[in-house]
Amino acid sequence: MKGKLFLVLLAAAWLGTTPGNAAKVRVVATLTDLADLTRNVGGEFVEVRSLATGIEDTHGVPMKPSFVPLLNRADLIVLVGFDCEHAFLPALLEASKNPRILVGQPGYVDCSKGIAPVDVPKSTDHSEGDVHPYGNPHYLLDPVLAKTAVQNICAALVAIAPEHAADFTKNRDAYLAKLDAKIAGWQAELAPFKGTKFVSYHEHWPYFAARFGLVYYGTIELKPGVDPTPRHIEHLIASMKADHVPLVVREPQFPEKVPALIARDAGAKLVKLPIMPGGVPNTETYVAELDYIVHTIADALRQ
Amino acid sequence: MKLKHLLGVSSALCLGAAVAQAQETNKPADFDQRLQQMQKMFEQREQALEARFAEKIAAQEAEIDALKKQVAGGVNPLPTAPAAAPDQTPGLIKELSDKVDNVVEAQKKSLPSEFNPAIGFVGETVASYRSKGNDATGSDRPGGFDVWARSLELNASASVDPFAKGWVVANASADAATGESTFGIEEAALQTTSLPGSLTLTAGRFFGEFGRLGYIHDHELPFVNRPQVLAQYIGGESRSDGAQINWLVPADQYISLTAGVGDSFGGDRPNPDNPGYYRPIGGLNYWGRASTYFNLTDNWQLEAGVSGLWNPKTEDRGGLITNGLSGFTEKERRLAGLDWKVSYVPLRDNQFNSFTWGTEILFSDSRYFINPEADIPAIGHNGTVGSLGLYSYASYKWSRQWSAGFLFDCVQSAQNHDDETFAYSPFVTYALSHWNQLRLQYTHTDRRAVSGLKPDDAIYLQWAWIIGAHSHGWTQR
Repeated sequence: MKGKLFLVLLAAAWLGTTPGNAAKVRVVATLTDLADLTRNVGGEFVEVRSLATGIEDTHGVPMKPSFVPLLNRADLIVLVGFDCEHAFLPALLEASKNPRILVGQPGYVDCSKGIAPVDVPKSTDHSEGDVHPYGNPHYLLDPVLAKTAVQNICAALVAIAPEHAADFTKNRDAYLAKLDAKIAGWQAELAPFKGTKFVSYHEHWPYFAARFGLVYYGTIELKPGVDPTPRHIEHLIASMKADHVPLVVREPQFPEKVPALIARDAGAKLVKLPIMPGGVPNTETYVAELDYIVHTIADALRQ
Repeated sequence: MKLKHLLGVSSALCLGAAVAQAQETNKPADFDQRLQQMQKMFEQREQALEARFAEKIAAQEAEIDALKKQVAGGVNPLPTAPAAAPDQTPGLIKELSDKVDNVVEAQKKSLPSEFNPAIGFVGETVASYRSKGNDATGSDRPGGFDVWARSLELNASASVDPFAKGWVVANASADAATGESTFGIEEAALQTTSLPGSLTLTAGRFFGEFGRLGYIHDHELPFVNRPQVLAQYIGGESRSDGAQINWLVPADQYISLTAGVGDSFGGDRPNPDNPGYYRPIGGLNYWGRASTYFNLTDNWQLEAGVSGLWNPKTEDRGGLITNGLSGFTEKERRLAGLDWKVSYVPLRDNQFNSFTWGTEILFSDSRYFINPEADIPAIGHNGTVGSLGLYSYASYKWSRQWSAGFLFDCVQSAQNHDDETFAYSPFVTYALSHWNQLRLQYTHTDRRAVSGLKPDDAIYLQWAWIIGAHSHGWTQR
């Protein structure tokens, strides 16, 4: 009897699972916003881990070998898509040796499905920097498009655990309703600043700007992934002055020195905005992150 | 009979005529009645149609209103949303949406799973100045100023089928000794992608997994030159023609186990570019590696591994040359290694700030046949040589473009452990972008007198660039 118990425990350890977790859908999300959306839809029926903690660059999550066992056992990998995770995810998936979550498999949940990308490059030549060949991947900063991601996540969960379909659908509808209410509030808060121009370090904000009626003026980076040259900084400051651009956005993972210099010389306000939940304190959920972004912009422009 | 028949027919005709006449006299009244009935029917149908049209228009208006709201909110129709009316609109929208999705998906052409392989090219040019010539340094390169294209590498990778991927790396480079250009297939391998049990099988020509930097291409080393211990004990990159299996241990802790067998390993055969080179089964190389990883903190990481290589009946890699005769012939090759890498990779700004300390220690315990006719110098052993070698480097990155570091390496000759070489190499790297990099390195090399070689100083300027796709995957992390 003791021998059998030992064998069962050994098998459980071998599989790396505990009986309590066995029934849950094991989800690994690349970024914290997707992890939060998945938790809201999956509820008690999912176990969600995020590769990013929230403070990383969305393209620069370190490729830690400790991620490999997580991915090896995952039922689903939930990703942004549009090549957002190109710098770390393909190699991690290769190392994870989990055929269920490879590209094209049901466990590979590309949340960009159904989203029309903006800024799709006409050429993927590297003279344009580290371009995203399928278009700008930062659509999750638009809460309306995030609803499409919620639906993609829900569809994947329903497909892999149809016995919980009613719960997933109910959770999804409740979360979408909550987002709708928040979206109305965010739009009302930013409505007075319609047409306001702003710049940021990396091209994170075209979807956000379009949603809330702001004008995305340009980036501090010379090209995606290429640091600014002195000439580019000079031209940017001059044109910001001429066009009365009042706001400079710095994403926390980029150094403050150059954005601060540009804001000072162009006479603009400098704000630090997270690009995913956890990017700055008290933004641990997607809604809290968007709350923070909208309030910070509105406060800066009111002054 | 005929008369009866005639009377019958006549009676029938008369009756028929009478009925016809009677019908003719009732025609106007019947027509009016039927007309009224038709009119009534028509009116009823008209009313029904009007009601139906009104119902349909109302339903469509409701649908249009709902769609307008969705468009205003940017929301795709919920797949489970109930239809507002028995109408085809939701189906048409879904069909259109699917078509658009298909067009978007069709644009995604650069994944290795597409028909065309991902192709890239790497160019690497090294300019140098050496204080002494190769007669004093034992190096392949001459003294004084020197410039050469060390590596011109064409690589391609693609999925072979749903079960495997494949890649090829062809390399053209200047021969270090003669300056003549050579062309060879560095790698041409197939790797499974869907074996059960967390296993991966690699077969063909590939870089066998031994140590830490043995299977890294020259242009991706963190410094200009391959450490001497790897150059001497492995023979450069750990290229092998054979098969290798890797197992990811199913545990919470990352543990990777690898075992391989091949008819060559590194530079251990006379003509490494000859794919048909024959080696008996008893002369194959066997190697293995175990590695693991620890998160020391969120930002600090430790990777460690042990490796082993054994060839029970190796080919001669060229022993000491004395008096025109080869003094040693390698009989058995045994190599063990221990490596670790400690990294500081800050989560927030690792593109701009990082630190790495990497070390690899190798122990060579090869056996040799000593030619009794050769004039062998007194080297203090009788055919089994135990030698140690290591390299250790630290590198710090302080911006997206700039990093600098220091490499120390030392090695005892695999044939004579009294013959020691030490090298000290500070280096600085400037990365214009991900694909374009310059590196300046100074190396002072110190050699024990037993080799007859002399110390020298060298300065290297390396320029490496990439066009197209280029990724060596997980091993290059």
